Amino acid sequence: MTSPRPSDRPTPLTVRPITSAEHRDFIAARPSASFLQTPAWARVKPEWRAESLGWLRDGELVGVALVLYRQLPKVKRFLAYLPEGPVIDWSDEDLAGWLEPLSRHVKQQGAFGIRIGPPVITRRWTAAQVKEGIADEGVRRLGDVAPSERSRVGASVVAQLEELGWRPQSVEGGFAAGQPQFNFVIPLVTEDGAARTEDDVLKGMNQQWRRNIKKAAKAGVVVEQGTREDLKAFHDLYVHTAGRDGFTPRGIGYFETMYDALSAEAPERISLWLARHEDDLVASTISIRVGTHAWYSYGASSTEKRDVRGSNAVQWEMIRHALASGASVYDLRGITDTLDSDDSHVGLIQFKVGTGGEAVEHVGEWDLPLNKALYAAFDLYMSRRK
Amino acid sequence: MGLELTVDGERWRRHLVEATRARPGIVPVAKGNGYGFGLGRLARRCAWLAERAADTGSALDLMAVGTYPEVSQVVDRFAGDVMVLTPWRPSGATGADPEPHGRRVIHTVSRPTDLEDLTTREPGARFVLEQLTSMRRHGMTRHELIEVARVIEDRKLPGLCGIAVHLPLNVSSHLAEVRRLLNDVVATGLRTRTVFVSHLSPAELTALRSEFGDFTIRPRVGTDLWLGDRTALKATATVLDVHPLERGETFGYRGRSLPRSGHLVIVSGGTAHGIGLEAPLGDQSLRNRAATIARSGLDAVGLVRSPFAIDGKQRLFAEPPHMQASMLFVPSGGRVPDVGEDLEVRVRFTATSFDRVVVV
Repeated sequence: MTSPRPSDRPTPLTVRPITSAEHRDFIAARPSASFLQTPAWARVKPEWRAESLGWLRDGELVGVALVLYRQLPKVKRFLAYLPEGPVIDWSDEDLAGWLEPLSRHVKQQGAFGIRIGPPVITRRWTAAQVKEGIADEGVRRLGDVAPSERSRVGASVVAQLEELGWRPQSVEGGFAAGQPQFNFVIPLVTEDGAARTEDDVLKGMNQQWRRNIKKAAKAGVVVEQGTREDLKAFHDLYVHTAGRDGFTPRGIGYFETMYDALSAEAPERISLWLARHEDDLVASTISIRVGTHAWYSYGASSTEKRDVRGSNAVQWEMIRHALASGASVYDLRGITDTLDSDDSHVGLIQFKVGTGGEAVEHVGEWDLPLNKALYAAFDLYMSRRK
Repeated sequence: MGLELTVDGERWRRHLVEATRARPGIVPVAKGNGYGFGLGRLARRCAWLAERAADTGSALDLMAVGTYPEVSQVVDRFAGDVMVLTPWRPSGATGADPEPHGRRVIHTVSRPTDLEDLTTREPGARFVLEQLTSMRRHGMTRHELIEVARVIEDRKLPGLCGIAVHLPLNVSSHLAEVRRLLNDVVATGLRTRTVFVSHLSPAELTALRSEFGDFTIRPRVGTDLWLGDRTALKATATVLDVHPLERGETFGYRGRSLPRSGHLVIVSGGTAHGIGLEAPLGDQSLRNRAATIARSGLDAVGLVRSPFAIDGKQRLFAEPPHMQASMLFVPSGGRVPDVGEDLEVRVRFTATSFDRVVVV
């Protein structure tokens, strides 16, 4: 469907490749963007061809994207993947004006489809609402609970993507496909934008969190920021955690590459955290920050000495650091949307919910097939892989 | 005498209370022939249900009618607001000026220009905005609603009462469509979270209320409310005359004859009541279409199944129904009813006007 555009409409946007420096500088000038959209992230994913793209209006750079070209098995055609991107003005009522030149460009590059993940929030739920939802037998998913807020921009993005023929990617269970649609975040500023105090953030946490943070301090847990040399210690603990919690760990090379690439782009981008009790490493984490957005990215914890609460201590230290760095949000990353108290994922949500803050839903990942036949084949391939 | 609707009052009232309780926020719909009961009676019943708000949990501050001329038939019997479901048009609406009822009327607006027009005439007019659904009858697209949202802001219009959604029948679930429509409402920036919606099952309503607890979802209900308990309702006709009929003897307006002997049974109820004026059935299944063809075949021969039943068996029309009465054919061997006896009639309540409605 085409809508009549006003006659004083702005010059149409164009898309062209830009340099990593242009890309980096554009992001640096904005309050924040997903770290998955930084040029450095391309170096973390060397198995995919990456391209920095820019949107131009009247010669001015007004949007950027990191495109990862993922090859279809056996065919030299690609899925153009823009994780948590692109970085454009999502509040625009004319998203077609942004997305169509992107489609044309990646199609020329051999893409049979595009996948985007607009970094736009659609709904928010308070920690109390999530907690009540878990306690309520009749509630199984976050979506069954009325949100504390619905975003007009989020709703508009969803409506427009549907109208433009994009297809939402199912997020059954929340983790199945791509980036998580539901995250848990702690706002670090008040509604009028003023920074919150440490005390205020602490007060927002539940009693157990506050007690555990206190307990860790009393037990003598010390949290420090590490250096690249400490990645080995982090990784050993992370492999241990993977064995305990039953997930497949990534090799240390992945973390080294990530550390090097992100540090090179901005010294504060990636931080390694180590919580020690006496001489034992009890918890270790990685945090990332782009502008005012701070993420808790990877975490590991020992099975021994759980009672000294290293995990709570290291989280609190990361939150304090984010506050001190002027971040406006501390992002604990993905949660599943299950609120079913029998679901094994609910423990992770409860851990995150204890920090106070809120659950947020994003627009999610959406695909646009550019070549129907190849896209259908890819879709089939992905569904069989699951 | 005549075509009568007998209502088992206690059973009917019990159903009304239960149906209202099952659909909190219900907006009863009384339109057309008043579902066989008449608009006045339904309006009084709405008032009666409003008095039982403490019991049903539904405040029942609002009922809906189909057209502007219907407004005057309910306003004296029901004290709440009256929503008109047919969209307001600059031409059509003035024919029956709702002005005397003033602020009790809630208009349905389905085009941006109509909102400008209506509120130019009546700046304080109260209205709901109809959203275009998959039915594609009346209603506005997301773009039109954005336009309307701007008009409301610019002119500081005070009358926005909500969004109206008319869903199609015969779909397995409305939830996906309603979710999409409500997302569009959020996207328009309209400052209302009240949605009037039809044809949702109580289960769908419960699911929506949980997911959209920040919205006020008001179900508009007609058929399921008034006709929801068919066992409380009985339509009857009276046997007016009975005549024996020999094979080949002529009878009726058209002087036709039949190849069998039996009885002619003259009953009350004809085209004036809606008898024999078959409303197209919603059901498009192959079986039903085959049945329609079969009935047409009978028609060619001269015999069509009538809605009148004797001892539970539907009898054939001896000839097409007249204005006030119908002639049935009972072949030899069948029980012949007495004059004055009541016969059961299967009718579509929404297409039948009864001579009398008796609530027992």
